[in-house]
Amino acid sequence: MAPILRLEHVAKSFGALKVIDDLSLAVEAGEALGILGPNGAGKTTLFNLVTGDLRVDAGAIEFDGRDVTALPAHARCRLGIGRTYQIPHPFGAMSVFENVLAGAAFGAGRREAECYDRCIELLVLTDLTRKANQPAGSLTLLERKRLELARALATAPKLLLLDEIAGGLTDSECQALIETVQAVHASGVSIVWIEHIVHALIAVVGRLFVINFGQKLAEGDPRAVMNSPQVQEVYMGIEAE
Amino acid sequence: MTAAAQIPAYRIERSTRASRLALVGFVVAVVALLSLPLWDGEDDLGSIVEICYMLALAQCWNLLAGYAGLVSVGQQAFVGIGGYALFAFTILLGVPPIPAVVLAGIAAAVLAFPTALIVFRLRGAYFAIGTWVVAEVFRGVMGQIRALGTGTGMSLPVAISRAVAESRAGREIVLYYTGLAIGIGTVLMVFFWLRSRQGLALTAIRDSETAAGSVGVNNERTKLAVYLIAALATGMIGALIYLEKLRISPDAAFDVIDWTADVIFIVVIGGIGSIEGPFLGALVFFGLRYLLADYGAWYMILLGATAVVIMLRAPRGLWGLLADRFDIQLFPVHRRVRLR
Repeated sequence: MAPILRLEHVAKSFGALKVIDDLSLAVEAGEALGILGPNGAGKTTLFNLVTGDLRVDAGAIEFDGRDVTALPAHARCRLGIGRTYQIPHPFGAMSVFENVLAGAAFGAGRREAECYDRCIELLVLTDLTRKANQPAGSLTLLERKRLELARALATAPKLLLLDEIAGGLTDSECQALIETVQAVHASGVSIVWIEHIVHALIAVVGRLFVINFGQKLAEGDPRAVMNSPQVQEVYMGIEAE
Repeated sequence: MTAAAQIPAYRIERSTRASRLALVGFVVAVVALLSLPLWDGEDDLGSIVEICYMLALAQCWNLLAGYAGLVSVGQQAFVGIGGYALFAFTILLGVPPIPAVVLAGIAAAVLAFPTALIVFRLRGAYFAIGTWVVAEVFRGVMGQIRALGTGTGMSLPVAISRAVAESRAGREIVLYYTGLAIGIGTVLMVFFWLRSRQGLALTAIRDSETAAGSVGVNNERTKLAVYLIAALATGMIGALIYLEKLRISPDAAFDVIDWTADVIFIVVIGGIGSIEGPFLGALVFFGLRYLLADYGAWYMILLGATAVVIMLRAPRGLWGLLADRFDIQLFPVHRRVRLR
């Protein structure tokens, strides 16, 4: 299958700090890819480059067979890139329902009334129905993370970027999240998931991509990657013998 | 999603009990204002026109700063352009005064477009200063135009004020209804905008620009639309102001205190980022001015002190305080889910 997302020699610096350093990466259509890396490795910056929140210094980004390097964030969203933020960015004074509605109305480009059913469905899926009329700013952190997911799904993405949505969950909550993401994946959405909760990641993704200092450290089958000496050393902090 | 989740029966409500009551109040107020000249004579008409245009300016500034994040301190540019455009259209081109008010708004919006190309490159405080500088440039340019009286300004010829209505009383009535139309029209425009799908985008931008972009909202285009529409309304208001004042000069027409600082006071005191806020702010502003009219400089000092206290105690203004405590909205721009 053709890749849905392709990054070619992408670079991004903040001042003297090279956050993403000549990184290339491809995600096949229908694939679920996990991204691992220590704090500060450049994972979230990578997402911001893909979504257009940040512009690349060098390199090209192709989405669904189209060069999107120069497109602004809203245009990339409308083409089918949905994302959640690691630090939730709710529309705080809008209701939870209206947050999801904004995603459906603009990301999916539909008339407002046509979106209502889908929005309610997503509130049920993310267990936010009872909070529908509350201001999103009043939600707890975990609820905000679920809202991030609901709002991103409302944009009807072809590619969904998940940025650490499993942190802080109990085992049963984590299991429910895994099932939700699996269902989204099964419906044909390609997924790229940044996550420190490795068992959750491995339950969903078919391939891992490990970043360190903005560069690819390892890539491939999840178990093989996790067992590779360089990942053990860098990511787990264990000295390779 | 596979296995479509069970959707409970639901209904989306827009109006609330408070908003239905407010609608009745709004209609009663509009009817009372429309019939005012019949039962209250002409003494208060001028004050009500002033309240109308300050409220309309406040609604425009609130749309800019409270929703689109465009903290402009240069809206006096469009008041001045509107006022001068009125003089130019009526004196130089012979357009009748009331159509000239509308044309003045369009002129302001047209000039707002190149202005936006410049100031939209700036962000935050730089944007604010940029808008002020642009307003000063317009003031300077208007002061150079000989046909419009250069720096000393000019008066509207009697023939043109006669074209509004023959008698002074008749003129006041015409200006009163024009002022009402602009005041009520601006409020309704802001209301229907905020209630619409585009209003959802604007409210999203208010709450988080980053997230708005990430869900497909075209932030730049939405902001440009707000800027141009605010210029259109502000230009019409400026024209109306100078049709009433009958005399214009660059220093008065592009005055930052009268046309922007006072307006910011109204919005910030009343409650920025809500449609109800400017109403409450206008009430406080005109109430204070009425009570303190005889105290000269103390008026400005108390106005400033009020602003400081409210900003410290209620950062979202008086309306924010009320809305938090009682969970009310008078203008039903939100959507509520009712599960059945």
